[in-house]
Amino acid sequence: MKVTLNWLKQYVGFDWTPEELRERLTMLGLEVEGMQKLGGEFEGIVVAEVLTRDKHPNADKLSLCRVADGKGERQIVCGAQNFKPGDKVPLILPGASLPPKPGEKEPFTIKVGKIRGVESHGMLCSPKELGLSDDAQGLLILPPAAKVGQPFAEHLGRAAGDVVYDLEITPNRPDLNSVIGIAREISAVTGNPLRLPDVKLPDGGDRVEKWVAVRLEDPELCARYAARVVRGVRVGPSPDWLRQTLEKVGVRSISNVVDVTNYVMLEIGQPLHAFDYHLLGKGQSGTPTIVVRRAGEGEKFTTLDGQERALTTQNLLIADETKAIALAGVMGGQNTEINEKTVDVLIESAWFKPQNIRATSKRLELRTESSYRFERGADIRICDWASCRAAQLILETAGGELLAGVVDAFPVPPAPKEIQLRHRKTDELLGVAIPPAESVKHLRRLGLEMIKEAADACTVRVPTFRVDLKREADLIEEVARLYGVDKIPATSPRGAIGANVFDAVHDHIAEARRLLTGLGLSEAQGQTLVSSESAKLVTGDVLALENPLSADMNLLRPSLIPGLLDMLRHNLHRKNDDVALFELGRVFRKENGVREQRNVAFALTGRRQPGFWTGDDREATYDIFDLKGILEEFLEQFGVRGANYARRAEAVSPYIESAVIQLGGKLILGEIGQLSPLLAKRCDLRDRVLIAELNLDMLLARRKSEKSFKPLPAFPSIRRDVAMIVPESTPHESVLNTVKKLKPANLERVDLFDVFRGQNIPPGQKSMAYAFTYRNPERTLTDEEVNAAHEKVIEQFRKELQATIRD
Amino acid sequence: MALDQIEPLKQAALAELTAAEDLKALEQAKVNYLGAHGKFTALLKSLGALPKEDRPAAGKLINQVKTELEAALSSRREELELKAAMPKEATDFTLPGRRRALGKLHPLTQVTEDIVRVFRKIGFVVADGPEIEDEWHCFDALNTPADHPARDTQDTFYVDAAGEETSRQLLRTHTSSVQIRVMERQPPPIRIIAPGRVYRRDNADATHNPTFQQIEGLYVGKGVTVGDLKGTVEFVFKQLLGDEVTIRFRPHYFSYTEPSFEIDFSSPLVRKMGKDWLEIAGCGMVHPQVFENVGYDPEVWTGWAFGFGIERVAMIRYGINDIRLFYENDVRFLEQF
Repeated sequence: MKVTLNWLKQYVGFDWTPEELRERLTMLGLEVEGMQKLGGEFEGIVVAEVLTRDKHPNADKLSLCRVADGKGERQIVCGAQNFKPGDKVPLILPGASLPPKPGEKEPFTIKVGKIRGVESHGMLCSPKELGLSDDAQGLLILPPAAKVGQPFAEHLGRAAGDVVYDLEITPNRPDLNSVIGIAREISAVTGNPLRLPDVKLPDGGDRVEKWVAVRLEDPELCARYAARVVRGVRVGPSPDWLRQTLEKVGVRSISNVVDVTNYVMLEIGQPLHAFDYHLLGKGQSGTPTIVVRRAGEGEKFTTLDGQERALTTQNLLIADETKAIALAGVMGGQNTEINEKTVDVLIESAWFKPQNIRATSKRLELRTESSYRFERGADIRICDWASCRAAQLILETAGGELLAGVVDAFPVPPAPKEIQLRHRKTDELLGVAIPPAESVKHLRRLGLEMIKEAADACTVRVPTFRVDLKREADLIEEVARLYGVDKIPATSPRGAIGANVFDAVHDHIAEARRLLTGLGLSEAQGQTLVSSESAKLVTGDVLALENPLSADMNLLRPSLIPGLLDMLRHNLHRKNDDVALFELGRVFRKENGVREQRNVAFALTGRRQPGFWTGDDREATYDIFDLKGILEEFLEQFGVRGANYARRAEAVSPYIESAVIQLGGKLILGEIGQLSPLLAKRCDLRDRVLIAELNLDMLLARRKSEKSFKPLPAFPSIRRDVAMIVPESTPHESVLNTVKKLKPANLERVDLFDVFRGQNIPPGQKSMAYAFTYRNPERTLTDEEVNAAHEKVIEQFRKELQATIRD
Repeated sequence: MALDQIEPLKQAALAELTAAEDLKALEQAKVNYLGAHGKFTALLKSLGALPKEDRPAAGKLINQVKTELEAALSSRREELELKAAMPKEATDFTLPGRRRALGKLHPLTQVTEDIVRVFRKIGFVVADGPEIEDEWHCFDALNTPADHPARDTQDTFYVDAAGEETSRQLLRTHTSSVQIRVMERQPPPIRIIAPGRVYRRDNADATHNPTFQQIEGLYVGKGVTVGDLKGTVEFVFKQLLGDEVTIRFRPHYFSYTEPSFEIDFSSPLVRKMGKDWLEIAGCGMVHPQVFENVGYDPEVWTGWAFGFGIERVAMIRYGINDIRLFYENDVRFLEQF
C-alpha cells in the first residue's frame, strides 16, 4: 500500500518529519518498505511575516528582524532595505537549498550562522534568489493576504514536495489498505482527531429507484450492493490534484470518473466500480436491474483487460437481465466500461465474501486492487459512504446531476461484535501494569465504541472495518501497540526447565557429526528436493510433489547419495579433485503413505592424503578400504557393534560393486560400494568414487554409548603367526569364523596382517597371514600350552579351508 | 704392583676413551683397559701380590678408578651414539609437514549448535518433528484456517501420497508445526527449541532456496509475559551476535500469536551495511486459539514462541552473500568455517 505524507495530512494533523513518520508507522506494525521524497519546488521555503525590524548592532547596512514562520518566531539578519514590519516575505529555513541557478555546481544551502556576530536562523529571499526574476534589488514582498507558514510553492500554486511511503500491510488488517485507515492509526497515537471528508450531496432530481433496481441472488456471497446514478457527466481528463495524487502512489490516471472510483478506494478502502448506465440491458420493466448471481457452468465473460474467461458456478457475476457486466469484486466487463461517450454513470459499492473472491481470483490468476481488498475483508458498513463520496467527487470533477437516493440492497446487516477486555489480563500477558484508563483511551482512539466500563474490565463494540478483532488477546495487542512495545520492560530468562525426549537424540546426532569430522570428512548439507533423473540412481518408491516448482526438483530425495554425487560433480568442475564428504539428513519414501528417515551417507574421491612432497604413496587415491575403515572406526566409536558386510552378487545401481551392511546378521543398516564408472563418467568424476549410506535412525536406536573399564593386562601375551595359502574365494570372515568355532584356549585376538598374490602363489589362490595373540589374565602362559592350542587352529585351517600352511 | 701405577694408567685410559672418534674405537679402548685381558683388569688381578695390610686401600682405590672409567666410557658412548644418529643433512624445518585432514562441520550446523547451546543455558531442550506434515499441524492448529490469505503467503509444497492418509500431506513451511506436536504430547510447562528444515515454493536465488532451516522456540508456563519474551530474545541475540547488538520489537501479524512482533536488530555490522535495522525473527504470545486447539486452558497458561532462519543468522555472522553456497557444498567453502 502506497500513501503520501500530504494525503495523510488531509485526515489527521501531526508534525512529525518524514523520517519520524516512517519510524512511527513501523513501530505501529506498518512496516515501511520504501520511502521516496518527491522534490517539490521551493522546498523549505515558507511565507513569513516580518514582526520587527531593527538596526544590526555591528553593521549599518544590515537589519536585525524578528519574523513569524507559522510555527514560531525566528531571528533573521537581512541586507535588503525595501521592507517594513507587517510585510509578508518568502523565508528559506536552515537546511533548505535555494533553487539551483544555471552554471551552479552545488545548490546553495542555508545554515544557521552568525552575520557580523549575530545569529541568523534562515534568510529572507529576493526574486532573483528564488529564480523568479532578475530583480535582486530587495525582498520579494508578497500580497498581504498570503498565509503565514504556508509553503511558498503552495502560495504560488505550484507542485509542493511530498513523501511517498510504501507500506507492508499484514493480511489481518484490510482496514489499513486505505489512507483513512492509516490516518486513523496516526490519530490514535497522537490523539489528534480523525477528519473524515464531509460528504454532503445535493438534493437530486429524479429518484434513483426509477432508474435501477438491484437483485441479490446469493446474499451469502454478496451481502450488500449499493447503486447510485449520476447523470450528464462529461468524461475527460482528471483535474491536476486528482491525477497527481493517484500518480504519486503509482496508479495510472484514466479519466475523471474512473479516477474517482480509484481515489475513493485508496481513500477509504472500499473498491468501487462505475458502469456506463446506457450500456446496461433493460428488462421488461424498461429500467435495468442489477442482478448479482453465480456464473453458469462454462459461462464466458470478457473482462476489462480484453481477456475472455471461462467461469464456473463458483464465480460470482454482476449482471443485468441480458448479460454479465462484471466479475464481482475482481474486474469489470468490457461491455459496460466507462468511455468518452458515457453520460450517465452507475456507481457500484458492494460487499463480497472474502473466500469467494479469493478463490475466483486465484483460479483465474487475476489479482486486482479490488480483489486484493475484498479477499482480505472489506467494511460492509462503509458501502454507502464510499458511494456518496464517489458521487460527490464525480459531480466535482465531471459535472452532472445526482439522482436522489440510493438503491441499497443490504438484507441482513451483521450483528455488532462485542469483546470484553479484563485489565488484569493485559498486565498478565504483557508483563507491565498499564492503567485501565490508558487502555480504554487507546481503544477509543482506534474507533472502538466503549459500551461498558468497570474498574476491572471494559467491553467494546468492534467497528466493522476491524475484521481482525475477535477476542480479548486481539484487544491486548492493540493496547500493546499503542502503549509502545519498546516501553514494555524486558525480564531476564526465568521459569521452568524444559523436557523433551528428542533432546538426547540431538546430542547423539551431534556426536556422530563430531566423529565424522574427526575422521577427516567434511559435513555437507544438500537439497532435499531432487529430480526424477537423479532419484533413478536408487531403487524404491519415491515420493513426488503434487506441485513442484520445476522438473529438476520434483521429488523428495529417497537417498542422500544422488545429492552427494551432485556435490562431487560441483567440486570436480571447480578443480576440487579431492573430496571427502558426509551428509546427515532425512530421506523420504512412499511406503504405506510416507516414510521419513534419517540417514548418514559418505562419498570419497581423489587423493587419500593432503598433498605431500615425498613418498611413493603420496598420490594414492581413496579405495574401498578407506571408506570401510571410516565406517568401522565410526561405528565402533559411536557404539554400534556387530556390523557385517555381505557382498552383493550382482551390480546394483549406482554401484559397480557393493555390499549390504547388516546388523546382527538381520537388520539392514545400509550399503557400501564403489560407484559405477559409467555413472562416475556421467558426473565427470575422474577418480574412483566410494560411497556408503547408513540408516541413522537405526544407529541411534542401537547405539550403546556407555563405557566401562577393563583392567589392564597384568601378564604377558604370546604371539604366533600363521601364513597360509587358501583358494581366492575364501573370505576373511570365514577364517575368523573357523577360529571362533574352535574357541582356542587363551586366544585374545586375531589380526590379519598380510594378503598376497603372485610370486610362488598358484593362480586362483592367495596367501593370508594372521597374528594370533594368546594371553591368560591370571598367569604367564607357557610355550607348550600356547603351541598346543595353536596347533589345533592350524589343523582346523587345513581341514576346513583347504589351507596350505607356509613355513 | 705398586699403588703409584694406578693413577698413570687411569690417565692413559681416560685419554684413549676421549680420543676415540667412533663407537668402534671406543669399544677397542674398552677392551684395552677393562676387557678380560685389559691393562686395568690385569692390575686388579695383581692385587693379591700386595702385602696384606695394603690390600684394602689398594682395592678401594682400584674400584673407585674403575667406576670412574666406566662412567667416562658410557658418557663418551652416548656422545658418539648421538653423533652417529645425527641426520646427515640438516632438517629444513620450513618444509610443510605431513598433514592429517580434519573434516569440518557445515556452517549451518555450527550456527545451529551455537543457538542450541545458548538456549540450553536457560533451560530449553531440543525437540523435533517430521518434515512431511499434515495440514492440521502446519496450519489449522496454528489458527490458519483453510481459506486464510496467510496460507497464500506461505506457498506450500504438497506431497503426492495418495493412500491411507486422511489429511493432505505437505512439506512443513515452518518449524512452528513442532510446537503443536510437542503440546499435543505433553502437558505444560514447555520450554523447547526445534531446529529443522522447512520448505517454501520459492525459486532459488541469492536469498531464497526451496528448502531452508529455521529454529523455533516455545515457552509455555504460568505468568509468561511479553516482557519475558523480550528478555529472552535479547539474551539469545546478544549471546549469538555480540553484546553490542540492539534489538527492537515491531508489531506484526502471525496467525498463531497475539500480539505478534517482528524482531529487528542493529549492530555496527548492520550499520556498515548502510542500514539501521535488519529483520531477524518473528515472535509473539501464543494465540489462545492455539492453546485451545491442543487442549491447554488459555486462562491458566500463557506462552511465547519465536522463530528465525538459520541461514540468515549464518549469512550475517559470516558475511555470506548467497544462500545457494550453503547447499552447493564446495569444499573450499566448507573448509572456511
